[in-house]
Amino acid sequence: MADSLPSEFDVVVIGTGLPESIIAAACSRSGQRVLHVDSRAYYGGNWASFSFSGLLSWIKENQEKADTCEETEPWKDLILGNEEGIPLSKKDKTIQHVEEFCYASQDSVEDVEEAGALPKHSTSVIPTSSEVLEEASATTEEECVPLDGQSSGVKGEETSPESPSENNAKCPDDHNSVEVTSLGEKHSDDVTSDQSVSGTENEESTSIMDATAEPKKITYSQIVKEGRRFNIDLISKLLYSRGLLIDLLIKSNVSRYAEFKNVTRILAFREGRVEQVPCSRADVFNSKQLTMVEKRMLMRFLTFCLDYEAHPDEYQAQKDCKFSDYLKTQKLTPNLQHFILHSIAMVSEADCCTIDGLKATQKFLQCLGRYGNTPFLFPLYGQGEIPQCFCRMCAVFGGIYCLRHSVQCLVVDKETRRCKAIIDHFGQRINASYFVVEDSYLSEKICRNVCYRQISRAVLITDRSILKTSSDQQISILNIPSMEPDQPAVCIIELCSSAMTCMKNTYLVHLTCSSVKTAKEDLEPVVWQLFTIVTETESEGTGASVQKPQILWSVYFNMKDSSGVDRTLYDSLPSNVYVCSGPDSALGNDCAVRQAEAIFQEMFPSEEFCPPPPNPEDIIYDGDGTQAEDPRFSNESEANPETLPEE
Amino acid sequence: MSMEDYDFLFKIVLIGNAGVGKTCLVRRFTQGLFPPGQGATIGVDFMIKTVEINGEKVKLQIWDTAGQERFRSITQSYYRSANALILTYDITCEESFRCLPEWLREIEQYASNKVITVLVGNKIDLADKREVSQQRAEEFSEAQDMYYLETSAKESDNVEKLFLDLACRLISEARQNTLVNNVESPLPGEGKSISYLTCCNFN
Repeated sequence: MADSLPSEFDVVVIGTGLPESIIAAACSRSGQRVLHVDSRAYYGGNWASFSFSGLLSWIKENQEKADTCEETEPWKDLILGNEEGIPLSKKDKTIQHVEEFCYASQDSVEDVEEAGALPKHSTSVIPTSSEVLEEASATTEEECVPLDGQSSGVKGEETSPESPSENNAKCPDDHNSVEVTSLGEKHSDDVTSDQSVSGTENEESTSIMDATAEPKKITYSQIVKEGRRFNIDLISKLLYSRGLLIDLLIKSNVSRYAEFKNVTRILAFREGRVEQVPCSRADVFNSKQLTMVEKRMLMRFLTFCLDYEAHPDEYQAQKDCKFSDYLKTQKLTPNLQHFILHSIAMVSEADCCTIDGLKATQKFLQCLGRYGNTPFLFPLYGQGEIPQCFCRMCAVFGGIYCLRHSVQCLVVDKETRRCKAIIDHFGQRINASYFVVEDSYLSEKICRNVCYRQISRAVLITDRSILKTSSDQQISILNIPSMEPDQPAVCIIELCSSAMTCMKNTYLVHLTCSSVKTAKEDLEPVVWQLFTIVTETESEGTGASVQKPQILWSVYFNMKDSSGVDRTLYDSLPSNVYVCSGPDSALGNDCAVRQAEAIFQEMFPSEEFCPPPPNPEDIIYDGDGTQAEDPRFSNESEANPETLPEE
Repeated sequence: MSMEDYDFLFKIVLIGNAGVGKTCLVRRFTQGLFPPGQGATIGVDFMIKTVEINGEKVKLQIWDTAGQERFRSITQSYYRSANALILTYDITCEESFRCLPEWLREIEQYASNKVITVLVGNKIDLADKREVSQQRAEEFSEAQDMYYLETSAKESDNVEKLFLDLACRLISEARQNTLVNNVESPLPGEGKSISYLTCCNFN
């Protein structure tokens, strides 16, 4: 694998987060020779998602004290007299205050390791010493579990739903035979959900459970063993169905690399209770919690918001006062005001003006109904798939990919003040005309004038949904307004196992807010309002019906928010070096897409940004040439993609 | 004509070291060409070939690595939703065989549980340069529960057989699957591609 890297490119992209990946795809698509590198072993940077063991390694890495490695600068010998080097940062310092907690029972934890997709056999047919080492390091060690790198696979443990003998059995949640079924798709989400309770039991637990009503408590060893079922996003976002990212995915056809599910519920938290917010026309009419009068009020107001611009008289007088005050004047019950302010407009009570509130409400309503009953989509396997999809697109058009590849420095020509090359960790000089660098790769020296904000994050694995309904397969979003003056509003996204982000009978809960203090301080008050921790006694007496979901495992951390940094604040950066920011704290992805497009247009003003590629379906190789269009990949609304000439 | 001019659609994904002949296998099968024109790969994501097996039309969507294997940087999303994996090595290159366990680890991590994996030793036309004996490969594939086949994309040896056998196995697996879960057929893990979601419009 000691393939050598070419040393001439048009564009070098450093970092594989969403904006960098979009830029790489756009450049490659427009015929540029692109080298895309990341110093990490995985795609996505802070946009990545991890399996459970992957996340544990990530946690460990970020808890380790940044060892002050002495600043050796071997690149100095590699640059010429009329050049100057701008060293890049060696260690990612964007993550802080990582705190991990495990509440699931750890009784039987002995030799647990993550089970793979294949029946486990020793891979020792060709043992090399380095391989054995790698194997050992691949299993994650973690303080609370004595893990043994040498353990002999997954055998034992009758409770393992993954035991080799069952590996060939079908479980419907996986993607097999999918294509067939999904093409003929007829089912709605509701159908899925009604059956999934029983479905879950059948498929997963032939050997675990007798048909008890309550599923057994999930233990820590089960989480570890089923670790690859988890796809845990570092940053939690959703796609607005009319947002810039969806538009770009469709336009560029990158959407073919991913699959999506609708977010199924918008929730609100009022007076200590979680409730579902009716937001579509159908929801409002079907709602049991609203009175007839409320239904009318809400419909009237939402209809007005859809084209509020046409009725300036209704809001002009109050356009600069607070949206929350404006709502009070609109003949809405407190109940409805709460829904609109926090769950639909999702704006701050304290400082959002009427016009912005109306805009936000309108955006929400416009996104409604494009794909489903809520304005949002979630990518199966997590948000971390999206940057990778753009990377695939870049590679398909010839882009070269190197993970685990760090860059020592940028080489700048002293005269022209333009960057002309990079020197990588092997000391290889790679020339290019344009350089795109993610913010976290820039040294402290370059960023010394920049003042960064922080994002507070928590990820919980829980045993049940925050709002139990007939279906246990829901993807929900819940905004909790700030409760105290110094406390941030928190956005919660709860994912179910069919989003392919967590194992069966668990839920993955993401909490996000702009940081005021550390993640734990910011988010814990909200966590304890909604969740509880496993207690030994509780597990037997299942009497109480309104139980809070129990946290099985959780992690808190702060992430640097490098969005919205003014370029001129970066110290002495050559003009052909473009900086991409890490994830922002907003729910959508507009910021990243806007940034990527702006940078691309600056580099190549005359080129189209991510035009649709030729459709592989249009290249017909078999004789009869009667293939029908495959609706999964075609894009009805757009013009026909260009076709490759047939040979 | 109906929208779906086939009875089955399967996604088959190729993996293995750079230079073992993955693209050649795909091109040979889908276009009957060898060697494939170089530049033509650019911009082509996957190849389609529809074959008929026992009177049923089976559409095979065959995905290549887009060169991301060269520096061990394949995206995880590449493996998602693959029905079958063709793990390829070059019989004249010991190194490509030695890397197989690494590839298996990737599969373990990212592929679906029920993915069918086939091990393929390519370039048997270069028999005099063989470095990996058939027996070693057979033992290895047996230990891993994989189906094994040796091919030559150049001479077109076993290439049809590789894909057609795979198609047969995929069909029988799919059948079995629908039999087992006929009631729960709405797969809970099922996402939809964006264009597919564009079904409901209201307001």
